Amino acid sequence: MKNLLFSTTFIMMNVCCFLSCKQMSLEEEPLSAVSVTQALSSKSGFDMAITALHQAARDELTKVDLDLFFDMNIGTDVATTGQEPAVNFRNYQTYLTPNNSRFATYWNWAYQEMIMRANTIIAHAQSAENASIWNDEKERNQIVAEARFFRAYAYNLLANLYGGVPLVDTVYNAPKTDFIRADRNTIYQFAKTDLEFASQWLPELVDGNKEGRIVKAAADHLLTEVEISLGDFEASIAAASNVINSGHYQLMTERFGRHTNEPGDVYSDLFRTGNQSRSSGNLESIYVWQFEDQTPGGYGSGNRGNHNLRGWGPFLVMLKDPNGQNGMDVVDSIGRGVGWVRPTNYFLYDLWKEDWNSDIRNSTNNIRRVHYYNNPASSYFGKPVEQRFSLEDTMQNCYPTIRKIEGQLVYDWASNGGRAGQTVSDFMVFRLAATYLLRAEAYLRNGDSFSATQDINKIRERAGATLIDESIISLDFILDERARELIVEEPRRRTLMRMGKLVERTKKYNIRPSTVNTIQDYHELWPIPQSAIDANISAKLEQNPGY
Amino acid sequence: MKKKLLFFYLATVIPSVVVSQQPSRTVAGTVTGPEGLVAGVSVTAKVAGSQVATSFSGTYSIIADPQDTLVFNSIGYETQAVPVAGRTTVDVSLTPSTSSLDEVVVVGYGTQTRRNVTGAVAKVDMKQTENLPNTNVSQALRGRVAGVQFIDNGRPGQGGSILIRGQRSLSGGNNPLIIVDGIQFNGSINYLSPSDIQSMEILKDASAAAIYGSRAANGVILVTTKKGTSDKPSITLNANYGLSEWSKRVRLLSPERYLEKTLQMRKILGLDADPSKIREYLAPSEQLNYDAGKTTDPWDAISQQGKLANYDVSISGRTSNSNYYTSASIADDHGLIYGDFHKRHSVRVNIETQLTKWLQTGINASYLRRDLSGVNASIGQAAVASPYGTYYYEDGEPTLNTVEGESNSGNPMRSALLTRNEEIYNNLFSNFYFRIAVPFIKGLEYRLNYSPNYRWDHNYNFFRQDKHISQNTTTANKFFRQDFDWVYENILTYTRKIGERHSLDATLMYGRNHRGVEDTRANANQLSMDALGWNSLELGSLLTNTSSASQEDGVSSMFRLNYGFKDRYFATFTMRRDGSSVFSESHKYAIFPSFSAAWVVSDENFLADHDFVDFIKYRMSYGSVGNQAISRYQSLSLTSTSRYVFGDASPSFVGIFPSSMGNSELKWETTYTLNAALDFELFSQRLSGTIEWYKMNTHDLLVQRSLPTMSGFNSIWTNLGEIQNQGVELSLNTENIRTDAFSWSTNITFSKNSNKIISLYGSDTDNDGKEDDDLGNRWFIGHPIDVFYDFVSDGIYQTDDNIPANYKPGDRRFQDLNDDNKLDASNDRMVVGVGQPKYRLGLGNNISYKNFTFSIFLNSMLEWVGEFRKADPNSNFGGNYPARQLNQFDNGWWTAENKSNTAPSLGYNNPLQSSFYFNRDFIRIQDISLAYSLPENLLSRIHLKGLTLSASAKNLKTFTKWPGSDPESGEAIGFPMPRTISLGCNIVL
Repeated sequence: MKNLLFSTTFIMMNVCCFLSCKQMSLEEEPLSAVSVTQALSSKSGFDMAITALHQAARDELTKVDLDLFFDMNIGTDVATTGQEPAVNFRNYQTYLTPNNSRFATYWNWAYQEMIMRANTIIAHAQSAENASIWNDEKERNQIVAEARFFRAYAYNLLANLYGGVPLVDTVYNAPKTDFIRADRNTIYQFAKTDLEFASQWLPELVDGNKEGRIVKAAADHLLTEVEISLGDFEASIAAASNVINSGHYQLMTERFGRHTNEPGDVYSDLFRTGNQSRSSGNLESIYVWQFEDQTPGGYGSGNRGNHNLRGWGPFLVMLKDPNGQNGMDVVDSIGRGVGWVRPTNYFLYDLWKEDWNSDIRNSTNNIRRVHYYNNPASSYFGKPVEQRFSLEDTMQNCYPTIRKIEGQLVYDWASNGGRAGQTVSDFMVFRLAATYLLRAEAYLRNGDSFSATQDINKIRERAGATLIDESIISLDFILDERARELIVEEPRRRTLMRMGKLVERTKKYNIRPSTVNTIQDYHELWPIPQSAIDANISAKLEQNPGY
Repeated sequence: MKKKLLFFYLATVIPSVVVSQQPSRTVAGTVTGPEGLVAGVSVTAKVAGSQVATSFSGTYSIIADPQDTLVFNSIGYETQAVPVAGRTTVDVSLTPSTSSLDEVVVVGYGTQTRRNVTGAVAKVDMKQTENLPNTNVSQALRGRVAGVQFIDNGRPGQGGSILIRGQRSLSGGNNPLIIVDGIQFNGSINYLSPSDIQSMEILKDASAAAIYGSRAANGVILVTTKKGTSDKPSITLNANYGLSEWSKRVRLLSPERYLEKTLQMRKILGLDADPSKIREYLAPSEQLNYDAGKTTDPWDAISQQGKLANYDVSISGRTSNSNYYTSASIADDHGLIYGDFHKRHSVRVNIETQLTKWLQTGINASYLRRDLSGVNASIGQAAVASPYGTYYYEDGEPTLNTVEGESNSGNPMRSALLTRNEEIYNNLFSNFYFRIAVPFIKGLEYRLNYSPNYRWDHNYNFFRQDKHISQNTTTANKFFRQDFDWVYENILTYTRKIGERHSLDATLMYGRNHRGVEDTRANANQLSMDALGWNSLELGSLLTNTSSASQEDGVSSMFRLNYGFKDRYFATFTMRRDGSSVFSESHKYAIFPSFSAAWVVSDENFLADHDFVDFIKYRMSYGSVGNQAISRYQSLSLTSTSRYVFGDASPSFVGIFPSSMGNSELKWETTYTLNAALDFELFSQRLSGTIEWYKMNTHDLLVQRSLPTMSGFNSIWTNLGEIQNQGVELSLNTENIRTDAFSWSTNITFSKNSNKIISLYGSDTDNDGKEDDDLGNRWFIGHPIDVFYDFVSDGIYQTDDNIPANYKPGDRRFQDLNDDNKLDASNDRMVVGVGQPKYRLGLGNNISYKNFTFSIFLNSMLEWVGEFRKADPNSNFGGNYPARQLNQFDNGWWTAENKSNTAPSLGYNNPLQSSFYFNRDFIRIQDISLAYSLPENLLSRIHLKGLTLSASAKNLKTFTKWPGSDPESGEAIGFPMPRTISLGCNIVL
């Protein structure tokens, strides 16, 4: 008996040992994530990678609530802060500092999202392992071209803001902490090469279900600007002409789109919700950030819709009627602005003096200069808001509203104040009017003021403004016209920095004495973020002068 | 490798099996203790030289000479020598040992007496906290163990953090490994019911912890649950009920201060600021409350009555060949913040049976369910709610914002009231084991553990229609997660005494483990019907799903040898080899050796004359342990997804992008610990304690190292550098007064830890002969890990100061460290504070008089600071908006009249984004309790074995300068620490 037990035990032990000694695999197979190489090994994988690049690009507007994209206008000639306590560029010397993390946001976004994602696509699309997935060179190059467009977009933005920056054209597989700055021209030159490739390979147009994808004209449009920055005006004119003469685009001159039965004009039609894509009849749009209500991916980071309304709209709900009661309700037709970006009087009044009544861009369809009390509980309900004098009312609560920000609010706008400042309107990043304005600048810089005037007059003619004479054209006039035509759409600060006009025009037109008194010549460039300098421990990333 | 070791081991052991053949006869008997039969007692026949152990039923049978003397020796009992005197049956009754040296200490894969232990093992006496209303383990242990920091966050059922001997990992995690009844426990320590715990041992040094290898670098906590010991079933009932209140409220603006702020801010902004027109400066909805004289303290608005109720019952006992412990417990806590609840139900069964003389089997199983249902009110939103805020409409529904039109003033109660939430965590943890006393080889035992651990939890939410909003506000989501882990271990132990002088025990283990987790989340927005909540997500108009899964595998082997000489000199050698799938291809396996020795110096002749010395032992150890606390898949370069739309009325397109930089060299980090200690008992055990000194160097730190974003990524997991922790720990127990009726004892724990970074990347870019710091991560050579690096605050600019350009009176002044008349980030920042305490102190006093016991416990942590961003008055950095109808932390503010030199003006916008730091030192009267136990004579009259009534107070008073919620948790504006008064009752049937 005992022997039996003993042997049973022994066998049991051996079985156990055998089971446990069996070679065990410690290989690691991720169950719910794929590696980069796995992801980028088919055409659909590359399409997904391009989609993620588009999502990153739209975040230029939606990544941050009220800074970032809005800082492209606050503290320039066209706008300042509406809210008294807001600090954005109120004092250039205390706001625009290397330590202010807001100035690292663009930097990090450009390198971590745009450039890294683009470089990954470019490297993998051209790898030997992936050679077999492409039907032909064209198919591959179209993918590469779209990635290179975005890379150029990011570098052009970085060069506009920071001057020379580190040039990254590859994917790193190990830590690198010794970046050094290339000069501004090298960066522009790099962007140019990317855009030339993009222009060569991108499709002329895309189908309706791909609207928003990058087309050849987008590359040419951006190339127009980059060539100006490089001083090659002939090339710039040629690039712009490629867009203008492509036969695909025209300035809209007749009413179009989904809202023609409502009051409006052709200029206001350009900005109504649903009117930005070509399929809506808009033949002016070239590159459009896409928004869609109630669809995953239809909003940007932070679940943000197009929040230009929130930033640029006056803070009407703060407006009290003469009895001290709330004068305004939040309603879906005007949404809820918070008076963060307050246009300067230069924009609101001076720019329109000559054509106050004839320029449709100044019509009631496009600038709302009279507001009406809409709170039914107010005894002033339905009456126009009378003239105001206090700082809060005139700067923050009730200034003329630029109506291109208005649109269909996101579906849950009523559940949260911030949501009521967001629309689902697509946002035109590039449109033909801007191409004309860029070409006008190139012509003028190239000494051809006649052609420059012609281009400007194209824009003015559509708007119903007086056509100008060659004798009054100047870079400043072009900047005025850009403001009239492209307000809100244009990252004004970048235009001014690219042209070296920021300090001069801000001093001239900004209405905040603290801004005017603190801006200095060195503010033509932003500081390199301290966080980037701190992390780059193996080489010194030079700071811009003055900081 | 493993096989070889095993054969080597067997080869050395088998020849030494000697069967004694002497002319003697068999003596048998039963060994009992006060609570019944005692198993495992070593019985030695002095003359015959034979040795056996009592069986599970307390019986023994030994070959002995008729004139022999039998020595009965067992851990926890006084050794007894009984002459055989010709008998064949010798029954013995043992008396429990009074010396703590014979106390059993669990050391991982076995037990030892305190006398023999060579490593740094701290045993936690659960008796200390028995009468206190603790609903989780970390609450019970706060401040009680030298060198161990348990931090409680004040929330019901949300166990705080545990840190043993300071931080030694930069980002690999600093949580200790938890072992329950010998098995790795991957759940949180909250999954344990404190009343089920018999004892806890904390392994602090490498020698003690090295047997747990690559997961032990942060120390190991061994939890032993209860067993049945008495022949007669023992039934214990415990009940505890208490009420809590806020021990501290963060100072927000009072109504008067709020109005002052409004005026002051308008003055700064150059707006109309006439005190007589203050009403006009309020929002219309505030004006209504102002007119009605109605103000609301936001903390009142989000409070609920805090309370706790705790009930448990257990039945335990033993029969001739089995023992059992079963228990059930219920805890029901209400936090101080509305909607913060915790309910816990648990049952446990521990059963052990002796099947045959040589085969024992057992199961320890527990099921625990934590119910955290309920959405708590938002503390962050309350902290910005105006004192003139409106929380409810007339129909009782919550408002959207406390100040109408002020979108930052979200009603802190809204989500709590409109959301229905079910959040339940289940844990089924069990260990099935067999123990075989291998026949014919005395002292050889084999044990097999199989321990599955199943955790499943879900979190369901339904946000209902807000009746004051016209659109559909409903959303519903279901989250489900399940974890399945298992551990499988084979353990061989061999114990042998060789002659009088040598004792030997060896342990060999081989095991495998697995962890797996998967989860699914489903969301629905805008449900077309309100009635079904989350149960019918298909009613939503926008549906989204996510899911994930992961797993990891490990394989381990371990060898330990304990050797004792003359019961006076002890040595231990251990070695563990771990393989883990989380490490990169080239580093799948790691080996961790350790060595320790101890010398009981009090047994030496030269100390024999010193009567006041009861016991003195020196200990020393050195060894290495690992930390693999990185998540799975960190060595790989992976992708994430995002979404975008193309065209109008677009479907959703999935985008994919690289999310991490892989590292094919990633491996465990290793901590080398040198530990030296002195254990002592003096003056008839009136004074006892331990002094430990240690130095721990951690190499190949697992670091999520910040990268320049130009490289495309924020950070990467990597191994680099070295960190050192050095410190001393002192535990001291004194019996100040010891008489029959009255006794007073004191215990003190003190620890000091200094932590510093020795090396990082090994680079010296600026060629100054010193290794580079990592500014990006705020890691500085020679400084602790957890530091604050900033400009150095130097008061406030006053009106008549010489104020530089761009500054105004009321702005903060900073030290110009390099005297270049300019403040810049490169030259004027320095380490301004450390975020971990240098000293930790616990002081307990127990006073008994007759049947009354009074205890008081003080806890303290000293020399650390915390960051408090909200002390910044304005928006650029602190996130306060004094110009809007919002409340904020009342740090005071500079005005031309009050000339504060600490708080800047309300209009200060902090251009350097420099933060605010406050001292976190505190001394807390943490626990006070008074208990009364019924005397024996009364007990017998009501047929009870015991009845104890107690009253206690928790967190009674805290002395600190920290302005935030609590210095211990370090919360600035967070969950309050409750002050709890409770009554308890313990009955033993």
